[in-house]
Order: sequence, then structure tokens, then C-alpha cells
Amino acid sequence: MASFLQRVTHGMKQGRFEMSPRAALSLLGVFIVLAIVATCYLILVSRTAAKGRYIEKLQEELFALQRENEHLEVEIANASAVSRMIERARELGFIPAEQVIYLQPATGGE
Amino acid sequence: MGESSRRRLQLIAALLGLAALFIIATLINMQVFKHQFYKEWGEDVRSKAIPINTPPRGTITDRNGHVLAGNAVAYTLQASPREIPESQVITAAIQLGEILARPSSEIEPYLRWTGDPDFFENWPQRNLNEDEEEDRAPWIRIEKYLSKEVGEQINDLQLPGISLKPIWERRYPEGELASHLLGFRAVEDETGFYGVEGFYDSFLRSTSITPEIRVDPQQRPVPWEVTNVELPEAGGSLVLTIDRTIQAIVEAELENSIEAYQAEGGTIIVMNPQTFEILASASRPTYNPAQTAGVDDPKRFVDPAIGDTYEPGSVFKPLTVAAALDSGVVTEETTFVDNGVFEVGGHEIRNALDQTYGEQTITDILIHSINTGAAWLSTQMGTDTFYSYVQAFGIGDLTEVDLEGEVVGELPLPGDYDEWYDSNLGTNSFGQGLTVTPLQMITAIATIANDGTRLKPYVVVKKIEGDGDVLVSEPQVEAQVVSPQTARTVTEMLVRTVDEGVTQAQVEGYRIAGKSGTAEIPVPGGYIEEGTIASFVGYGPIPDPEVVILVKLDRPQTSRWGGDTAARSFRRLAQQLFTILGIPPSGTGVAEANR
Repeated sequence: MASFLQRVTHGMKQGRFEMSPRAALSLLGVFIVLAIVATCYLILVSRTAAKGRYIEKLQEELFALQRENEHLEVEIANASAVSRMIERARELGFIPAEQVIYLQPATGGE
Repeated sequence: MGESSRRRLQLIAALLGLAALFIIATLINMQVFKHQFYKEWGEDVRSKAIPINTPPRGTITDRNGHVLAGNAVAYTLQASPREIPESQVITAAIQLGEILARPSSEIEPYLRWTGDPDFFENWPQRNLNEDEEEDRAPWIRIEKYLSKEVGEQINDLQLPGISLKPIWERRYPEGELASHLLGFRAVEDETGFYGVEGFYDSFLRSTSITPEIRVDPQQRPVPWEVTNVELPEAGGSLVLTIDRTIQAIVEAELENSIEAYQAEGGTIIVMNPQTFEILASASRPTYNPAQTAGVDDPKRFVDPAIGDTYEPGSVFKPLTVAAALDSGVVTEETTFVDNGVFEVGGHEIRNALDQTYGEQTITDILIHSINTGAAWLSTQMGTDTFYSYVQAFGIGDLTEVDLEGEVVGELPLPGDYDEWYDSNLGTNSFGQGLTVTPLQMITAIATIANDGTRLKPYVVVKKIEGDGDVLVSEPQVEAQVVSPQTARTVTEMLVRTVDEGVTQAQVEGYRIAGKSGTAEIPVPGGYIEEGTIASFVGYGPIPDPEVVILVKLDRPQTSRWGGDTAARSFRRLAQQLFTILGIPPSGTGVAEANR
């Protein structure tokens, strides 16, 4: 550490800032590494946030679809309730079967 | 560098050093000594209890998957007056009033923020949002259970400070159909009452979860925080043994019978004698499970099929005959001489209309419904044998059907002080002096139809858990009450009873076994003079019965006799059921080919 600082401040004299090319290169390397790490971190966090929001939206959508599905199931049941089926059948001219005739498969007769 | 500059530098360095020391000391204090305090404070600020959408209560369907109880989306309309600009209050009130069909003046107070610190506390409790703590509640509930359509219309307005919270509304698409079997869910909470809604309440309920979740300064969940939260579990669903078509036919026949015979009410139960599954059960008066708020008398909710008891009368005689035959005290050929009166325990037992029949067979006791004959059979058996059979048939005990509100009925036994007398042995033999529920009675007769084996009746054939696991109900044997031979003998006797005694119950083309009953209605100190419970219990087609039907009519006015009223209802109903179930008449080649 001490030798590194010595190299970096090697050219510092009386208000003048001088740095050897090697030291400058080392410092640049450190900055680049830090920048890469910071960028990666930011990308990771922003992506996670975006994914998190997306999952949240999907979950909301899932709940909404589940609600819709459940609601439609009840609506279908309402529309096909026995009382409505009877009403509709009467409207279409159907009447209850009173005299049922069973056919014998072997002879095709009664 | 000069001396003064050096001193200044030293001073600055010293000050910086002190500042650094102060910071380090503060940090140590916060991180080490007050660690717990700051940790909890941070948690409080950064996390919030956020309710996760609650899945709906489980559905209830019939055996063919038709929904009998489901859930529709409804909305709770809420206002946050602090978020509504003063300039928009009147417009919003008018718009909401139009959709809700309420005067805008009624809506306005919900929307206008007065600045009063007690603003929210001044609202009645019911108007506070139950998801919020009272002191923090920034919302006021304007209306609950808005329909989906109305909710969507309001949502389209995009009014500031107005929000809609989706909730579940329990719906019963078939209206009053099978209401006693289903029960209902209370409007204000998740609790189910009566029927399967009550019996399976905890199974049907969904779980609600309000986890502590990390939030941002606006109290919104932080999306990148991984929170280990279990999602709420959906309520389990039930598949019933009932068939809604059979149920509808039964309900229609019951209505028709009550009207035709001017009865006060009644019950019809249809059961599968091979499994003891209840295929249909209807009672009148009834109610609509979606409109329970308007029912003044809670007794209306009680299912008379399991919650009301009555003296069964002569429909009980087949049990006495079966017990007598099975215990070996008599055979089919044994005869009995009826003199019109038979004394048991000092009590004179007489036949209906004081008739005398002379020498009769055991079958004749059923055909002519001879009270004295039944009493004679019970005395032949003695108390121990008679009551052990009666109990084995399930009388005096709960059937343990999976419905809420079953009662046990009364069966005084020898030794029950002040309840059982010697004469009970005689009167009990023809269904007097004891009470049963309609379900107990049909279960006992179904035992004879099922070769003497009593099973446990049930209404739920399948339980589907929230995670998809399926539990299928299987028939459960309770007791082998009488031998299969005895049961078949009694069945043949009951066929003759219908053919020669209660011909009103005959169904053309089918052999039917059955027995009618006309029971007086007990009141303290005796029986009422007017009115009877008219009933008929029968099964068919013989020899492989597929349905057992109990018809019970309360106080019919056109005739007091079960044979003239309930037996006729039975015939009409059995005819329809055989058609619906595709059971061809016996004696046709089709029926034999199907066997």
C-alpha cells in the first residue's frame, strides 16, 4: 500500500501534480474496475426491480383472471340453471315426456 | 510552508480528528449499544402489512359438476376524501349518484374533506375500511357488494380518491333449489351456516394472508426485495351426491303435492340404497340462500329432513316385521288372530278406524297396516330384542350425515325413568311414542332395501382441496342389521303391500316395495285432534332397487291418510325418476338385457 501511494505521489512537488505513467495506469485500472462493478450492480438492481415489477403485474393479472374466471363460472351456472332451462325448453315448445317407450335392441320392437 | 500555516493545518487536522472520533463513537453507539432499537425502527419504517388478494371460498357442485354455490366478483366502493380536490367533489358525487341510483347529496359527505382531525372517527364503524387500523383509516366505505358491472362503470370514471376493492360475493345460481342441503354463507363474514356450508365451513374457507412486505417511502412494495411469503390458499371445493335434475324434479313434485293435498309443508328424500348417497332432498317451507337477510324466523334455515322429528307411524312396521323375522320369533307362515284390541302394559292398542281383521299372516300385518299385529310381534320379541333391532336400524341415534344441524329424535328405552312405560313396547312397534327424522326413517328402510346392511348416508362424494388433492367418499358400513334373507323376505312382503294394500303407489311396469304411514301429531298430554303426518317410504324397481324415496306431508287437508296423499306423490315421482335414470320397466326384454 505504502509503495503504491509512493508511486502515485511520486511526482507531487510544491503544488505541481506529476504522476508516472505506470502509476496513472494503475489508478485508471482501479477506476475502471470500480466503474465496471458499479455498472454491473446498477444493471443488476435495475433488472431485478424491473423483473419484480413485472412479476407483481403478472400476479395482479393472475388474480384478475382468476376473479374473472370464477365470475364467469357463476354467470354460466346462472344462465344454465334448471329453472331457466325449463323456461327455455317451454319457449321452444318442449313438453315433459310422459309415455316413455323402451325399444328392445335385438328386435327393434317395443 | 510558514509557521502559521503549519499551525492552522494542525488545528484543522485536530478538529477533523475530533469529528472523526465523534462519528466513530456515534456509530459504535448506534451499531452496538442501540442496535436493537434502530433495527426495529428501520423495520417499522421500511415494511408494511399488505393484504394479498384472498382467493374465493370453495365452490359446491352437484355430482355432474353443475355449480350450486359459487363466487361472483363484487366491489366495495371506497373514498379517500383527502385525495379528492374540493373542485371535483360535486361532479364526482353526481357521477357516482347516477351509477349507484342514489341522490348526490347522499354521496357528497363521503367525498368532502372537512379538515376535522376526527373526520374518520365520526363515521359509523361500518363505514371504516376493515383492512386498516381505525386510527390510520384514510378510507371510508361508501357501499359494499356492488355488482361487477356497476364497479366497472365507476372504475371507468377514474375519479381521484375513489377506489374499488374487489371482494367475493357468494352466489347460489339455482336459487332455492337444494337450499336446505347447501346452507348459506353469512353476508358479513366468511362463516357458513347449516347444510354443507355449515358442516364443511373450515374446508370451504380460503386463507387470507397479510404479510409484512418492504415498502418504499410512498408505502408501495419494493419490487426487488425478496420476501418469503406463502400465497393464500384457495378454499376446498365439494362435489355433492345430489343430481340437480333429480333435485329439481323432487322439488317440483313436493310443491305440487303440497298444493294438491293442501298440506302445510313436507319433505321428500331420494337415496341410493346401494351406497346411501342422498340423490335429492327437499323440504317446504324453504328459503333462498342468497337472501337470508330477509328471513325473520331462523327456524326456516333448519333442514326438516335432519332437524325436525315426527312420529313416523305405520312406515315403522317394516322394521318391526324385519326384527321379528330375523330374531326367529315368527316365520313368514306364522299367523296372528286380530280381535281388534291388543293390550300391552295395561294400554289397549287398536287398529285404525277400529277395524278387526281376524286371522292374519305376517305379510297381512303390513298389507292392512294392523297395529295390533305389530304390537303382538314386539311382545313376541320382548323389550331387549325389539329395542336392540330398533337401535341397530339407527333409530334413536344420529345418522352422522355430513350436514349441519342434525338432531337425534326420541327413543325412550326401558329404564328411562318417566319416559318409557311398558306400553311403549306396543306403541313403538307401529311408530308411535318415538320420534325420528325423515333421514333416519329413510336410512332404516334403505337398510332393508340393501339386504339388511345399514350404511352411513352422505351428501359429499368428493372433496377437492385448495392445492388440488382429491378425497373421494366411500360408502361406510354401519351395521348388518338383519340377514340378507330376512331383508329380501320383507322386501317381498312390501311389494305385496303396495300391490294389495297401497295400490296408489304402484308404478306401471315396475315392482315397488313400500309402506304408507298416517301418524298423529303429538302434543304434551296427547295428540292433536286435527291433522296428521302422512308419509310413504318405498323403493324399486325390485329385485334390484336403485332408489328409495320418502315422501312426508305435514297436515294434508284433502285426506289424512298417507296412502291417499304421500303414496300418490311417490308414484308420480318414481315414474319420473325411472325415466330420468334410464331404468326400463321390468318384464320388458330391455330391462332383462340391462341386468
